[in-house]
Amino acid sequence: MFSIISTWLIIAWGALSCIYMLRCAWSRFPKRDVDDVIPFLYPVDISLAQSLLDPATEFGFRWKLGPRQFREAQRKRMRLYLELTRRMAHNAKVLVQFADAEKDSSDPRRASMASVLQERAIEVRLYSTLAGLRLRFWLLLRADILNSMPALANLRTAGEIDGLRTYGALKTAAAAAFVQLPPDELDSLTRSL
Amino acid sequence: MNIPEFIPSCLLVALLWLLVRRRVYVTLPCFFAYAAFAVGADAARFAVHNYHDAYYLIYWVTEAGYDLLGILVMYEVLQTVLGNLTRAWWARLIFPAVLIAGIGMSVGRASIVPSRLSGILFYIAVGEIAVRFVQVFVFAGLATLVPVVGLRWRQYPFGIATGFGLYATVMLLTTTKFSDFGTRFKFLWGVTSLVAYSVAVLIWIWFFSVPQKTQTLSSKLSAPSPGDLERYKDALRRMR
Repeated sequence: MFSIISTWLIIAWGALSCIYMLRCAWSRFPKRDVDDVIPFLYPVDISLAQSLLDPATEFGFRWKLGPRQFREAQRKRMRLYLELTRRMAHNAKVLVQFADAEKDSSDPRRASMASVLQERAIEVRLYSTLAGLRLRFWLLLRADILNSMPALANLRTAGEIDGLRTYGALKTAAAAAFVQLPPDELDSLTRSL
Repeated sequence: MNIPEFIPSCLLVALLWLLVRRRVYVTLPCFFAYAAFAVGADAARFAVHNYHDAYYLIYWVTEAGYDLLGILVMYEVLQTVLGNLTRAWWARLIFPAVLIAGIGMSVGRASIVPSRLSGILFYIAVGEIAVRFVQVFVFAGLATLVPVVGLRWRQYPFGIATGFGLYATVMLLTTTKFSDFGTRFKFLWGVTSLVAYSVAVLIWIWFFSVPQKTQTLSSKLSAPSPGDLERYKDALRRMR
């Protein structure tokens, strides 16, 4: 029985994937060029992310607040970090799409920088996806009720990827890939990331 | 043999010609070997199609070859995509896990569906279904990665996985229905397999019809201009 059900589930997964790939081929998105990057980015406050992931700050909250107040504060902090990971994931996706278009460039330097940018962006996407999944799981299951409140500091790494360090590397790679932009636009890019 | 039965063979010859033009034997040698083997296998089957015993032998030997190369191609596809994606230790466990799951599913299926084959032929058939499962797992997993990680779907490894995935999904579906309906389903099974394989080869031709840039070696790049370096350093200073 298990074998039959799992066979049908796999067939359904394969069929859905075929439909998805067909949709990708049908609705081909135009290549994202340099003008389609900056307006699409959401700023990520890295200092805020660092403070959310700081175990000392969390310990301070635990020390100062009562158990119930701490749980409420922690849930708010989790939602805030979830929002930051969403923004990281979105920015990384925009940069992956830009790098895709740049990789076809005839200039080997631009193609190489785009390749590095894409690698960093994919790492950020992986981190944000894994960290976001864990946060949603904690928030959905009310981990604070079932267990002692999970520590946000544990989300510094997910899937062996250090989130903030990788996002920093993405910003550096983006600065290198967009170095030809006029100074004001480059400034706008660095502020938007 | 009917004329429609030659369609996949003709398409495979066109695919092989395209693969040679794109020098795919350098970047994806297993897939190139698969396509070359498929052309050779079709030619060998055609050469002996009037001799029952020889055809029977060639058919099963080439089926075993398809199984082996099918697995190698899936390994190559996963290595190419995941090699660029992550350097985490668990990434190396994905292919063995997929392989074990595929074999487990095939053995589980063989234990509930009686087979008329015995001996080595039985194992080749079980291996073939295991390869189909692996192909669907790899294809569906990669298709899931496209929206999750934001990967570009129009690249050669995805094209290979899509062709195999489509064919394997259709074949698993028809094989499952075949075990329900018995020999009444045989004609439809043959037609479906022919059409699905032709579509898979067309997908490969479509993907490989566009040249794909290979990675530029960093040693071949010239140094950036002093102006570029200054702008880069300035941007980094502002980010701190």
